[in-house]
Amino acid sequence: MGPPTMDRIQLAATDRSPQVDFDFASGHLSLRGESYPEDAAAFFGPLLQSLRAHLAETSATPIVFEVGLAYFNSSSAKALMNLFMPLEDAAGAGRPVTVRWRFAEGDETIAEAGEDFAADFAHARFEMVEEA
Amino acid sequence: MSVEAMPPEATPAPTRGGSLRGAGPRRNSDFLRAAGFVDASAAEPGAMRPGALRGSARGRDLDSLAHTLFLRIYPVIAVVVLVTQIGIAWVNYRDQLHLYTQRAELMAALTAKAIARPAWSASPEIYRRQVEALTLDPAFRSATLRDAAGAVVLSLGDARRGRSFERITAQADLSSGQDGPALGRLTLSISAEDLRGNAEKQAVMAVVTSLILMLAFVLTLHANVRRHVLAPLKRLLLAMREVEHKRWVPVELDRAFRASNEIDVISQAFNRMVDGLRSGDEAKQLLQQLEQAHQKLEDANRLVMESIGYARRIQSSVLPDRAALDGSGLEVAVLWEPLHLVGGDYFWLESIDGLGILVVADCTGHGVPGAFLTLIVATALDRLLHERGLRDPAAILDALDGMVRAQLRQDGRGSESDDGLDCGICVWDPSRSEIRFAGAGTALTTIDGAAVTRIRGAKRGLGYPQRPGERFSVDETTLRITPGMTLYLMTDGITDQMGAARPGRRLLGHRGVTDILASHQRAPLAEQVARLDAALGAYREGEPRRDDMTLVAFRPKSGDMPRAA
Repeated sequence: MGPPTMDRIQLAATDRSPQVDFDFASGHLSLRGESYPEDAAAFFGPLLQSLRAHLAETSATPIVFEVGLAYFNSSSAKALMNLFMPLEDAAGAGRPVTVRWRFAEGDETIAEAGEDFAADFAHARFEMVEEA
Repeated sequence: MSVEAMPPEATPAPTRGGSLRGAGPRRNSDFLRAAGFVDASAAEPGAMRPGALRGSARGRDLDSLAHTLFLRIYPVIAVVVLVTQIGIAWVNYRDQLHLYTQRAELMAALTAKAIARPAWSASPEIYRRQVEALTLDPAFRSATLRDAAGAVVLSLGDARRGRSFERITAQADLSSGQDGPALGRLTLSISAEDLRGNAEKQAVMAVVTSLILMLAFVLTLHANVRRHVLAPLKRLLLAMREVEHKRWVPVELDRAFRASNEIDVISQAFNRMVDGLRSGDEAKQLLQQLEQAHQKLEDANRLVMESIGYARRIQSSVLPDRAALDGSGLEVAVLWEPLHLVGGDYFWLESIDGLGILVVADCTGHGVPGAFLTLIVATALDRLLHERGLRDPAAILDALDGMVRAQLRQDGRGSESDDGLDCGICVWDPSRSEIRFAGAGTALTTIDGAAVTRIRGAKRGLGYPQRPGERFSVDETTLRITPGMTLYLMTDGITDQMGAARPGRRLLGHRGVTDILASHQRAPLAEQVARLDAALGAYREGEPRRDDMTLVAFRPKSGDMPRAA
């Protein structure tokens, strides 16, 4: 048994961790800011658990995951991958899933990271959004 | 009289004699002593110490306040009472004297009237009875009856007895009714001794009254001063002593507070002061605790920093000599800057079997955890190069992946480690002017004139727990090195520089870094790397670095290029 499903997880941004808004009820998830927490597993662990629990309980609601990170370290990249995998699996099972990868105009580093992630998705829709 | 018994002047204030003290009520210091305060310093009046309050409390005789009040007020009251009483007695005496005189004159006149007739002196039966009747007056002293010629006809009583001022004398002429000559004269003396007695009694009463007044005054004054002044003052003094010893007790009011009572007002002000002192003291203590905590933190921080400084020496000693490839025909420059003294970035340079080995690794995490991983990598790499003799970069990466995973027990169940590393390996073969590159998460960048290329290796890094069925595979790239070409192995800490205030707040990125490097291609590599470091700092503009950074730049030494086969 996973943890009880939360309707919504909201965390304010710190200088080392992003602003989190996982609104499971509406299927809208978002990460914004920068992500290089000292212990990425401790930060992303609860998010991943809640996401998995939500995916296990519901099957139909579409999910849009917005990721707009100006910087993330390699542990965070790993944690993002861990978040993307169950979403891709859910998309494979028929749920509409969109990952919207937002990056600043001309920020090749983040754009490339998005492209790398996009390559791992076969079923979920992966959108690259360049922001001015 | 008691006023004379203890005049204020008899005991000069500065050195109070024991006579007054001993006779007076309990002394000030007695209650302090009873309360458990003993003062050694009070013997030296000039010596002021931090606890000066004690000295002042001691030197100030609280009971002497009652004495002072008594000595200052009582003489005045006593004199007023005495003077008043004596005045009243004097007026009384005068009135009585006047009444006595009138009485004597009336009696003399009545008797003279009764006697007066022509040739009265010839018949004693006429006047003797009349004059004798005068003796019935208890105050009667003497009576003398003279005829017209002045000869004494009859004399009763003893005119000479008693003092003259205690005698009232009245004279009356015996007249015939018309304005004729006096037929004789009656002289009557009565005693005023009663008056004197009365006056004396009154004087004694005045004295006794003042004595009683004094007694009542002393008792009332003492009782009231004690109750309304001394008791509250002593409570105040005791409270001050407590405060001196930093026991923040407020002084108790024995009744409800009255704004009109000065001592109540003082007590309240004192309590407010105690509150202020207490909060000040508490703040001081908090500050002290804070300073102690700060000191502890500082000590702990110094300890940690010393420890990490030591760790940096160890990590630096694990790193290779930067000139290790000097003999292999390569110009090499290195930028190795951990974020926190030590870090997860690692590089290796070695000339082996005529080949130059260049390795850059970026282990997960930074600081001490990252540094631990670099030691695992360093040990593993050493074994792969020297025990297993691997020279093939892809093979080295593959083997390194297995060794790291085995070392971190990521190959079994229940592994807790989710760590790994990005790694890029170049093997330089001077004889063929070739570089073979294999990378896992780390790219090889080349700049040749205006052309910048990035050869990205495998996307996945080394280590990390594998998903079932996952197998590490990496491709190898062989590059033909031409003069003017410079190669760079760099960790993502180099490209991930966050610009402080740029619109969009974005990372410098690979292109930003290669732009900087490209603009200094003609400079020696060491200078090129130093300029890059400065340019990165300028881009950050005070924004802290995000990661460890390592860059290994290398190129064939100019004029040292072997002829291409």
